[in-house]
Amino acid sequence: MGMIGFLIVFPLVAALLLLCIKNNTARNVIASISTATIALASIVLAVVYFGHDGFFVLLNPIIDYACSAIGIIIAICILAYAIRYKNLLAGILALVQVGAALVFEFGFAHGFEVQSGLYVDSLSLLMALIIGVIGSGICLYALGYMEDFQAQHPDSKDRRPVFFALMFLFLSAMFGVVFSNNMLWLFTAWEITTVCSFLLIGYTKTDEAIKNAFRQIVMNLLGGIAFVGALFFIAVNFNTLSFSDFLAAGVLNPDAAALPVLLLAFAGITKAAQMPFQSWLLGAMVAPTPTSALLHSSTMVKAGVFLLVKLAPIFSVSFIPSVMVILVGGVTFLFTSFMAISQANAKRVLAYSTVANLGLIVACAGVGTPEAIWAAAFLILFHAIAKSLLFLCVGTAEHHIGSRDIEDMDLLFERMPRLARYMMLGIMCMFIAPFGMLIAKWATLVSFVETSQVALIILLVFGSAATFMFWGKWLGKLAGIAGNPKNEEMTVHRSEWISILLMAVLVVLCCVGLPIISKFVIEPYIATVFADFAPSISDGNLIIASVVTALVVVVLFAGLGKGKAKKANVYLSGVSVNNDSRTFSSSLSKETEATARNWYMENIFGEEVISSIGTICSALIIGIALVGAVALAIGLF
Amino acid sequence: MDILLIIIGTLAFAVAAPILGCLLSGIDRIISARMQGRVGPPLLQPYYDVRKLLEKDRVSVNASEGIYITCALLFTLLAGGIFFSGGSLLMSVFIITLAALFFVIAAYSTRSPYAEIGANREIIQVLAYEPMVLLVAVGFFMAIGSFDVSAVLSAETPAIVKAGLVFAGFMFVLTIKLRKSPFDLSYSHHAHQELVKGITTEMSGSTLAKVEIMHWCENVLFLGWVGMFFVWANPLSWIIAIAVVLFVWFLEILIDNNFARVKWQAMLKWSWIITFFAGGINIMILAYL
Repeated sequence: MGMIGFLIVFPLVAALLLLCIKNNTARNVIASISTATIALASIVLAVVYFGHDGFFVLLNPIIDYACSAIGIIIAICILAYAIRYKNLLAGILALVQVGAALVFEFGFAHGFEVQSGLYVDSLSLLMALIIGVIGSGICLYALGYMEDFQAQHPDSKDRRPVFFALMFLFLSAMFGVVFSNNMLWLFTAWEITTVCSFLLIGYTKTDEAIKNAFRQIVMNLLGGIAFVGALFFIAVNFNTLSFSDFLAAGVLNPDAAALPVLLLAFAGITKAAQMPFQSWLLGAMVAPTPTSALLHSSTMVKAGVFLLVKLAPIFSVSFIPSVMVILVGGVTFLFTSFMAISQANAKRVLAYSTVANLGLIVACAGVGTPEAIWAAAFLILFHAIAKSLLFLCVGTAEHHIGSRDIEDMDLLFERMPRLARYMMLGIMCMFIAPFGMLIAKWATLVSFVETSQVALIILLVFGSAATFMFWGKWLGKLAGIAGNPKNEEMTVHRSEWISILLMAVLVVLCCVGLPIISKFVIEPYIATVFADFAPSISDGNLIIASVVTALVVVVLFAGLGKGKAKKANVYLSGVSVNNDSRTFSSSLSKETEATARNWYMENIFGEEVISSIGTICSALIIGIALVGAVALAIGLF
Repeated sequence: MDILLIIIGTLAFAVAAPILGCLLSGIDRIISARMQGRVGPPLLQPYYDVRKLLEKDRVSVNASEGIYITCALLFTLLAGGIFFSGGSLLMSVFIITLAALFFVIAAYSTRSPYAEIGANREIIQVLAYEPMVLLVAVGFFMAIGSFDVSAVLSAETPAIVKAGLVFAGFMFVLTIKLRKSPFDLSYSHHAHQELVKGITTEMSGSTLAKVEIMHWCENVLFLGWVGMFFVWANPLSWIIAIAVVLFVWFLEILIDNNFARVKWQAMLKWSWIITFFAGGINIMILAYL
């Protein structure tokens, strides 16, 4: 238990330290040591506890009071921002939430004693590894990135101490989310992640950043209020605040659990940026890239899907919440994949793809069978690694080519050869067999078929085709080769290279080692939650996949560019003058430049149309489910 | 055991599929010629063409294109090996998609505007056919009870009985997968309707030969998917399956010679409408009845 406490407290200490330090070198040293410590501690924790699930008795009223205090601080912080930037809605929601939480904590909660405050199982260990290794890898990357960022924005005040303090606080809160069995503590950690991402999105304090930060806080406060509402119902109906006790009791009494589970699922859906709440994650793109990487891969949105996956056993027996989660996840996957086709901005493509993949995870959680949970766990893992790799690559490319537009990444294969290959690796991992994400999607499809989820199957097959389109054309853009343009990656910071390399190595290791991870990490968790289980993909197929993955990686990093054919010019309807700029002399003996752009099909997959359809569909689904669950709850009394 | 079977299957496919595919292509050219009132080339003309390509000097616009194509060919062989050794149909589908991706990247890597247009169109083609191909796997599973192709050998009824509509939808997208007019948008054998040479504009010599061999192997694999619908425990069913496959091949040649290329909008729209209705309704029936 000491190690869990260490993982929660240590980042907190590091955050306080970094908040006080203004010196650049000192910050680099402290942050580097802290990230290494966190990563190491989470690995040690995983090695020690894998296969040893258990609960830890921790019953400390001081922590309960601390939670109340943190709740009040968070509310004051949001209120201060709301008053300063005159955002009435955020202020009201913050007041409602803190009021409800305080009434709950002092009116109800002290009647319940949760014996086991903390717990570990394979899922929380997997999450801890993701947070500890990938999350701290991103913090390391941020050191170099923020130096460039500050250099490019010389007129703005250097607020890096705040930035790094928030990043580490975020990690601490995430550890709190995955290890807390006391739902009051879970809720507090949950709210810390909300407010951290609020402050990080608004970091640059431009009008756009502030606007998007408020959009995030409004949506997530709605989720937070739903969370408090769920706590009320759980306390009244189940007489407990222990998450594990609630899960066990909920499975036995699904009707009574329907409303609280639905409210918790709503909180999870807002946090995981599912439709109709996807816009806050899109808006979060205004923040510096490490923030996006952190929000998308290892923290924030992963807290949302983590909660939903934990609730899966109840979804498998409780009809209304399950249908809501399944449909919202499926609809989100389809429509956000469509919208990604129409985006030329690399970060927006990444954002839509994140929301889409979270949609799949959400749908898997809603299906709630062991096979679906297997798929969800792998989707979480591979998405975290590949997406952080991609964000880090895009961030570095942006600083060196001055654009995050995919069209401007033309010739990146030669301008930044190493970076382009890492980016290609990340993209391939996201969508194509035999890489991890696709194996997980495969398991997803099988679990949908086995449970006869016809709607989900249809949503999945169309969404997957769209996925091929938007990744494929980006990959193609990166692959372009012509002549020998200037190499522009000499000035990339070392901390950036280390983090990118870390993510790339993790991608390859996890893809190739997928059968092993399945056997020793995922299957034990599923065995403890459900009785019997056999993965839906046979070992033979997993092994073929890992061998082919290894082959593709070798080709990508060692094979390309080694062909020995004689060089020729490309065909340009005339005499080629320059292959780099694609100019040629036409028959009118004038130099002409040929241009080619990718297809974005704005009129078919444009945001305006698709987003409103998706928002209406998902809002209707949530509304109907809410009415149904309330009716069911009233019927029970 | 599984894996050994797949390795043997892949090696066997690597030998047999190019031969079969070459003969199918030769038949295609003779039948097409007859439909157009010509005599047509000898049966082995496709082989002579490829042999000549292999003898050419190796010239390329960059040093990576050929490697991408080699990978695409290898993955096609693997996909065929998985399918014909009775492995997972979904795995076969995914690996052939990987091959398609490498083909597309090869074209993109040249940065030739014509090849890029071809590559973009190839991606649109994947967008058009992929949902139906995935539904074929789903429909097959629901009809036979397994994703493993070998399960047909012990099935009491062929998949076509329960998955007839899925098969009909697959027939529609098969024209795209076989690169036949009206859906040969990215790479056509009809010179009069092609933009230079589509996705293969910058490919020559042995690289182009590999593309041609890959195309033969793809054809054999996709026709195998057609045949799969008609095989069940009765050994005689193989004869029916082969007859159906040959008939489908003839039908595709007939379509190829009677339609001009359509715009991509029409291809995308109709593939998705047919996938949604044919595939969706069939799967709904299998799931709920």
